Amino acid sequence: MSNINWRTINIDALDPESAYNFDLTTLTPAVQPVSTSDVQTLSGQIRQLVRGGDAEGALRGALENAPYGADDQGKQIHLSTVTEVLGQIRQTEMTPLLQRMYQSEGGSELCDTLMKYLYKGMAQGTSHTTNNSVHGRSMTPQATGFSQAGGRSFGAAEGGGQAMSVFLSWHEKLVEMVGPGSIVRVMSDRRTV
Amino acid sequence: MSQSLRPYLSCVRSTLTAALSLSNFASQAAERHNVPEIEAQSSPELLLNPLTVSRNQDERVFVEPSVNSVRVSIRIKQADEIEHILVHKFTRFLTQRAEPFFILRRKPVPGYDISFLITNFHTEEMLKHKLVDFIIQFMEEVDKEISEMKLFLNARARFVAESFLTPFD
Repeated sequence: MSNINWRTINIDALDPESAYNFDLTTLTPAVQPVSTSDVQTLSGQIRQLVRGGDAEGALRGALENAPYGADDQGKQIHLSTVTEVLGQIRQTEMTPLLQRMYQSEGGSELCDTLMKYLYKGMAQGTSHTTNNSVHGRSMTPQATGFSQAGGRSFGAAEGGGQAMSVFLSWHEKLVEMVGPGSIVRVMSDRRTV
Repeated sequence: MSQSLRPYLSCVRSTLTAALSLSNFASQAAERHNVPEIEAQSSPELLLNPLTVSRNQDERVFVEPSVNSVRVSIRIKQADEIEHILVHKFTRFLTQRAEPFFILRRKPVPGYDISFLITNFHTEEMLKHKLVDFIIQFMEEVDKEISEMKLFLNARARFVAESFLTPFD
């Protein structure tokens, strides 16, 4: 105990009454836990719809049954399913499809869910690249000395550029229709996809 | 403007417009304190879901909203090591002069090149859409600036090498 620097102890963390220990579950609406195998079955059904040419039905089904209660793996599976469906739909079909979806029953919720998936899709691949402070390649050919510029791996830049442009064009069309309120709901909704 | 830059910037613009709805919020932990909650992280209920907008793996914007502050981090395009050094020097130059920029953060968030911290006091003092415009303009200009600097650097290096090697000709 004596070798712990007590000035660095966060005393708020030890106080159950403090805001630091705020219980987030009180803000989260109850979600049903979904098992990974259920998500897998669902993604199989959605892929079948896409193969049958019903991309709109597939997208609608995927967004209506977003697995809020699934674990990370299940969410990842569903995200890749949604990404696949989005990639299948051509640019010219986006706006009429979104319009039909928005005007139907519960359409605004579907659009919010779609927005969540767009941001989640764009956030893909960031988690494992954020901490690449390890020197993949040394900055200088010779060890000339001290450099403050951290290392960064080059060459892997093109990965994901194609998928991102799909997300970006969907995002543009969606914001045009539903406005910035949808983005606010993505930020404030504690049910994450 | 290139074809894929426009949707990227418009996406950043709408994301920032949505995120910049801030209100004054005093600290819950210490009386008469008012700190940006995204930096203090004093309570999980005050932080909102962070959003990422990316054009590709090497160009993205990370927006972390909270009740009274938003942290915007930008990862600037770096195609090779020269650009990497130039970006580092450039952002270092800016962050050392962070005080007159008001919203510039002195240190970027890990994984990003430059960060801005916008609090409710900034949105009260300044126009919100102008703040968004500033960040968008910064993102447009910085790419141009870096590639221009790279061209100058190469031209200068060529000139230096030529004049250095003329005596041996």
